[in-house]
This record gives sequence, C-alpha cells and structure tokens, in this order.
Amino acid sequence: MNKELYDLVAWTVKTAKSAGVAECRAGVSSERFVNISYRDHKPENIKEATTKQLGLEVFVNSRYSVQTTSDLRKNALKDFISNAIATTKLLAEDPFRTLPDPKYYKGRAKVDLGVLDPAYKKLTPEDRHNLVKAIEDAALAAGGKKVISVTAMEYDSYDELLLMTSNGFEGYQESTFYQAGAQMTVQDEGDRRPMGFDYAASVMKNAMPSPEEIGASAAKRTLSLLGGKKLKTETLPVIIENRNVSRLLGGFLAAMYGSSIQQKRSFLADKKGKKIGSKHFTIIDDPFIKGGMGSRLFDMDGFALKKRVMVDAGVLKEFFVDWYYGRKLGWEPTTGGPANLIIPPGKRSLKEIMKDLGRGILITGFIGGNSNSTTGDASIGITGELFENGELVQAVAEMNIADNHLKFWNKLVEVANDPFLYSSWRMPSLVFTDVVVSGL
Amino acid sequence: MKKISRRSFIKTAASAAAVSIAAPVVLPRGWYALAGAEKPGYFEREFGISDSLCQKVLAKALSKGGDFADLYFEHTITNSLSLEDGKVNRAYSDVSLGVGIRTVKGDQVGYGFTQEMTQESMMNAASTAATIASGKAGKSAGKFTWLKMKNYYPLKKLLTSVPLESKLPLVQTANDKCFALSPQVVKVNAGFYDQQKRILVVTSDGTKAEDLQPRNYLYASVTAEKDGRRERAGWNIGGRRDFSFYTQAVVDEISKMAVDRTLILFDAVQPPAGEMPVVLGPGVSAVLLHEAIGHGMEADFNRKKLSTYSTMIGKQVAEPFVNIIDDGTMPNYLGSINVDDEGTPGQRTVLVDKGILTSYMYDKISARHYKVKSSGNGRRQSYQHYVQPRMRNTIMLAGPATPKDVIQNVKKGIYVQDVSNGQVKIGEGDFAFYVSQGKMVEDGKLTAPIKDVNIMGNGPKMLKNITMLANDFEMNEGGSGACGKGGQAVPCGFGQPTCLVKSMTVGGVKR
Repeated sequence: MNKELYDLVAWTVKTAKSAGVAECRAGVSSERFVNISYRDHKPENIKEATTKQLGLEVFVNSRYSVQTTSDLRKNALKDFISNAIATTKLLAEDPFRTLPDPKYYKGRAKVDLGVLDPAYKKLTPEDRHNLVKAIEDAALAAGGKKVISVTAMEYDSYDELLLMTSNGFEGYQESTFYQAGAQMTVQDEGDRRPMGFDYAASVMKNAMPSPEEIGASAAKRTLSLLGGKKLKTETLPVIIENRNVSRLLGGFLAAMYGSSIQQKRSFLADKKGKKIGSKHFTIIDDPFIKGGMGSRLFDMDGFALKKRVMVDAGVLKEFFVDWYYGRKLGWEPTTGGPANLIIPPGKRSLKEIMKDLGRGILITGFIGGNSNSTTGDASIGITGELFENGELVQAVAEMNIADNHLKFWNKLVEVANDPFLYSSWRMPSLVFTDVVVSGL
Repeated sequence: MKKISRRSFIKTAASAAAVSIAAPVVLPRGWYALAGAEKPGYFEREFGISDSLCQKVLAKALSKGGDFADLYFEHTITNSLSLEDGKVNRAYSDVSLGVGIRTVKGDQVGYGFTQEMTQESMMNAASTAATIASGKAGKSAGKFTWLKMKNYYPLKKLLTSVPLESKLPLVQTANDKCFALSPQVVKVNAGFYDQQKRILVVTSDGTKAEDLQPRNYLYASVTAEKDGRRERAGWNIGGRRDFSFYTQAVVDEISKMAVDRTLILFDAVQPPAGEMPVVLGPGVSAVLLHEAIGHGMEADFNRKKLSTYSTMIGKQVAEPFVNIIDDGTMPNYLGSINVDDEGTPGQRTVLVDKGILTSYMYDKISARHYKVKSSGNGRRQSYQHYVQPRMRNTIMLAGPATPKDVIQNVKKGIYVQDVSNGQVKIGEGDFAFYVSQGKMVEDGKLTAPIKDVNIMGNGPKMLKNITMLANDFEMNEGGSGACGKGGQAVPCGFGQPTCLVKSMTVGGVKR
C-alpha cells in the first residue's frame, strides 16, 4: 500500500464527512509512464510523466455528484470538496443513490492476480530504446522495398488505484503494463498506401513476444493489405480474426448493462434465460486470470468479484448490473462491467477451419460502423482476405457486413483455438456462416 | 411542421428571451466574473508563473540542444449536469491543471509534463523533454511578448460563474418538452455540458499567448416505443458559446429534433446494398468531408508520405466548383481558436481552391519541413499531449445548384441526413460511415426513411466524384463532436451544402 496515496484519500473522505456529506466514496489513480517511438532509425517522440487524479463521489440528502481533479494542493482540495457539496445540494433527489450495502464488499477472493511485474523496476531507458529499435529494424527488414514509413513504439507504466468509502470499503491495486508495436505504410498500385500495424500488450514483460516477432508481424499484416479490392456482394462464411472479435462483441455487450436495460435501450432486456445465439456462443467474465489485463478483486462499487458465466451455450444467463441500476431495476446487482472477458477456445486452428470451409472471407480489420443497442442492428466496414480451399487468394477492402445481433450470433458455427492474449478480452477467432458481405 | 433552417434558427435563438433564471453565486477564490475585464496574466496571478520562471524552464528544456522548446500551461474546469428518469439528479465536474514541456529537434519531440506548478517539478519535466537532443545547449528568449490575437468567442460571463440554478431549468425543460411532443416517448436523457479551458503558451522564440476557450452544449436523447418496437435518437446544439446563447428557442429546437428523429425511425428501412449515388445533406454530413478528405490534408501525414495527397499540391483534386477551407476564425463554432496550442494565431486556410489542392494544414514542425509558415493548426487535447496538425472548422463552400436540382439528378440512391462513427484509413483513403438518418432517393424524389447502414468509399475518389453542389451551405451546430487522432480528441467544426457523390458503396441488405 502506498502511504502517501492512502493518506490523501483518507483525508478526502474525512474532510468531506466533516463538511456535511452523508456518505462518500473517494479514490485516486496514479500512473508513472514512459512512451518512446522511433521513425527513420531515430527517436520520434520521447515522453515520460506521472499523473494523479483524485475522484470524489458525494451523497448528500439523497442527492449525488461526482468530481475529479488533478489539482491536489490541500487548499485547492478543500475548495473542491465544498464546491462538490454545494453543487450536490442543488440537484434533484434520487432515492436510489446510496453507497452499496457493505455485505457486497465481503468475501473478496484471496488470489494472487499476478498483475505486478517485479521486473518493471529494473527497466532502463536503454532497454526501452533497444526494444523499439529492434522492432523497427525487424519491421523494415520484413517489409522490403514497398515500405514508405515505419513507426515503432513502446509504452510502459506502473499504475496504482486506491478506493475508499465512508461505510468501510478499502481497496488497493498496483499493476504494471507493457505495450509494444509498429505501424507501417507501404506503396500499393496507383495512389494507394495501405497502413497496417501489430502490437502486443501485457502486464508481465516475459509474456510479451520478442521485438523481432512484433516487427515482422506488423510488416506481414501490412503487406497483406496490398492489392485490396472490393468484391461482388455475396453470401459467404466469414471468420473474424481473434483480435477483431471484441469490436463486434462490444455492440452485443452494450445491451447487457443495467443502465441500458433500465433506460429501455437494450435489445436483450427481456432475453434472460432465453436463447440468443448458437450453442458455440459462450461468454465468461473471469476477474481472476493470473496476469490478465483486466484482473481485479473488486469493482468500482467495491463489490467483491466473482467468476460469472454471462452467456452459456447460446443462452443469456446474466447482465452487468451495478449497485445503482440494480436498485432502480429492483434486481440483485452483479457487477458494473466485465473484468476479463472470455469466449472459451475451440479445438481447431484457423488453418484447419479455413481448409474445411472452402471459400470465405477472413476479416482482419473493421472500419467505421456502429451497433444500435436499442434494436440490435449493426453495420460495419471490413478489410480482410478472401480464401479458397484454405488458401488466401485476394485482399479485400471497402466491403461491409450488416445484420442484427439477435440473428448474427446464431450464425456462429465454430470457435478456433487461438485466443488473443494481449487484451483483457481474450477472444479466439470466430466462424460464422451465411453472412452477406456487401461490395460491388 | 416547418423545419427551421440552421442559419435562420441561430438568428431566432439569438433574439429570443433566455429561459434561465438568474441567481446569485458564490465564486471560488480568484475566479473573475467578467472575462472581458480580465487582463492577461491569469497563470501568473493564480499560479505564480512568471517570465523568469518560464525562462529557466525553457533553458532547461534546451539544455542539450534542440531547435525550439515551448511550455503549455492549462487550467480547465469542466461541468456537466444530466437528467435521467425525469430529474436532474447527477452532476459531474473535473479540474485539470498542468503544464506540458516540449523540446523539438528537426521532426523529433521530447515531452514531459507535470500536474504540480512548482519550479522543481517543471525543471524535472523539462529535463525529460531535453533528452531528445544530445548537443550543446540551445538559446532561449530573454523576454517574452504577448501575441496579438482576435477573440472569436467572447464571453459576457465566465462559464464558471454561471450558477447551477441557471443551468438546471434548461435540462429539465428539454426533458419535459420531449415528453410533451409525443406519447410514444418513454425515456429521455438530457444534459448540459460546459468547459472553460484556459491556456498559456510560452515559446523559446519569445512569444507568449493566453486564451480562454469555452465549450458547451445542451443535449437530449430520446427512446420511443411503438407497437412493441423501440428506437432511439438524439440531438445537441452548442459550440464556443456564451451562456446567454441557450434560450427557450434552443431548448425547443433540441427537443423537437430529438423526438422527430426518433419517431421517423419506426418507418425506416435498410436500403439495398451495393454501389449507388449518394446525396449528402447540408450541415452534419460534412463529418464525411472532415474524415475522408480533411485528415489526408493534415501536413504530418504528407510529410511522412503516408497520405495520398502527399504528391498533389498544385494539382486538380476535384471539379472546379469545389472549394474547401479550414477556418479557425468562425465566431462561436466548435473548431474556432484564437491561438493554436503552439502560439500561432487562429486563421483561415484555403485547402482546395477551385478544385486545386493549394495547402496542407501545418503545425510548426511540418511548416519547418515544408519551409512555409504554420497555418495555426498545431493542436493538442491537453497539457499531457503532443502537438499534431489538426483541423479546426472544415467546410466546403456552396455551389450553384439548388438542393432540389441535386436530388432530381438521382434515379436510385440514398440521401444522407446524419452520419456517425466515421473512420478513415489515411494511406488508402478508404472510409466507412454509419448513416443514422437518411432517405431513399427514387426517380429524383426523397422516399422512405433509412437508418443503421454503413456507407463506404475512398476519400480522394469521393472528392473527384462530387458532381453537384447546392447553394444551401449549413454549419453543423452541435457542440459535442470531437475528432480523434493519435489517441487525442479535439473539438472540430464542419459544414457543407447539399452535395452529390456519383457513386459510393452502401452496406445495406441484399435484395
């Protein structure tokens, strides 16, 4: 526990209480980060700083407001707290606004989340520069003559979060974070200059791929965009590559929040216990994955977290309901949002699946698009590759898929064995049949 | 009901009586009631930022060499009020205070920032910035001169001194009005957002500039139910406005637009998929101009040869009736800036003149690369961020046709009223946008409403494919829009007349 942060938050809670709030929740997040990028074999940007932000939620006479500040001078904070209280008193009453019942704080899991890397402290400026240089070199070597530009980067940080309430909750988490990647632009036919990238991220340094792998993969992904064409509109099987699944799944998840349901903007509101996808569609929220980027023991309400099956073999089991919307809905709360989200991986590799499918499109990127949480309608631009007999035959660009979530997840026919590990949403590649891919 | 055009609406709004109730307010220490009465030197008065301190920090930033350095002080106060289930029962406010220190050598940037306005913290951040260079110490100015600049968003009253009691009725009235407009309305979310950003830029070449940048908007978002179906849409109006802008007329307009736009969705269909002509309506759909064309004209993408426009200066990129301008000087619009975030005055930059690409949008680094003056497009999200060339208000000027002529020219296509969630790939020029409101065009007439469909195309191709422009130029009057680039969001404005693009991909349904 960081004593300086603890004292600051405890002082804030105490000061707010003595200034007249009924209840309050205060927290501080702190981050020390370094960010370096290289282009043309020299540093393009070097950035380093520490940020701290204090947040205060106050509950006065059944009224509620949230305040955040980076101005942590004690005198400024005193003004900040009295302004918060004065503002709150002017708002309308909201009987649902209270701190959670402390029973939800209890039973916090006693597991080591493995999110703090002891190696972080040993990281030197030279290590960081060498990492980025190696990524750039690898990308340039693999990119060949078509390369117009490569930018390689790294970002690393040490983060702390401390949360405290006036009704007895205290929570603290420290974690590390590493990210490294490269972005490349290559010359295509005519004026086209496709830009591609690859990156990896993790809380542990030893879970990161080598800089050579990152650089080479960025080049491979960019070169795969060359000759991208719009094809005729066709109904085909499509595979959504692991790292892109979260973009589409995010549209589905938007309807799973208590706020969406209570505010009548969820197409899933009346679907609990019902079938909303194929038997291959299972979603698990697991807060305790060792080294998971979203791993945590408590949420922002202070609830002790649990592993939850949200969708089980196509049947919707749970929603993400925080304390406030739980009270408004009259429902038992779960948690406000996912920690680590998982679709359990299948047995076969992408290659094997593609061979079996014959002809289809492997979606390697999304562009634009949207998803309507009220109706479930979604439409999104795609880039990727057409495959035939398991072989990639043509880069695809400027095409689109459109469907309704309640239909789309029923078209899920297989889950690959390749979860993307560099995100808190660990998604494997997903295979869908009978998808209209529109183009010419 | 007759739709008020955006331009005439603004006139109406300006002359209508205010809905707000005046009430006394206790100001926090050191905040001033009238911006107009304020002398420059806010950061010196409030935080003790003197010229001699700036000299020391800049000298540190250039202690290992470098071409120039600058300091960017920021004190931003943001407030928002929101209504849910009929009551204004939630408030949020944020105070952001800090200074960013930048050292530039060629196209390389060293950057440090701190949230503590102490000499020690600033010197540490300056040491971080200095590491980008590795030579003999560079020279910094001995004294600083205030930059002469105009004010494109004068305030009668600071936003921080507008009492909460004046803002509450705006939000409550918007809610009540939405419910009153239709029995099908089942939920309303409404709110008022305001931000007062104060900046001070001090450069090693001896310039200092201070600005107070207001930003605010009122919004309403409506969910309606009909025959067991639900639809949702919303509307907002705002910009860099004085609080007196928010009159009953503005509340009425927002409520009406939010409700009308929701109800029409019950009749909306998804258009057929495929390539077809697309008519972009005036105003809001200019987000496409911003995304698909504007970004490719930002100088950093061209300096690095990433943009298709990097070889096109002086060349024909559109029909001769097409003129595109990026303008930081349009009074009270979201993208206007009195000064950019590296000390260059706000200005108007012609990008495409009679179809010919005449200029990119430059920050200082790219201006030095191209050996031109900065066009005042150097912007950043906050003191925590680097400067990048960014758009301000990007507009396409009106053409000779009437909107009716434009629509009559289309046998089968779509008419786009509102787009959201746009994304563009700079290198390829490919873009995709989500049409949240629109109509089918059949035999030269607007027919069934459409919704929830993606349109895709290629920016440079689209610009060449503009075959008609109407005489009905409108600015987007929203205040909530922000443009994202390199992980930074900055407020931008946009506007255009009705415009015909002869072919684009519409990602609808197969028929």
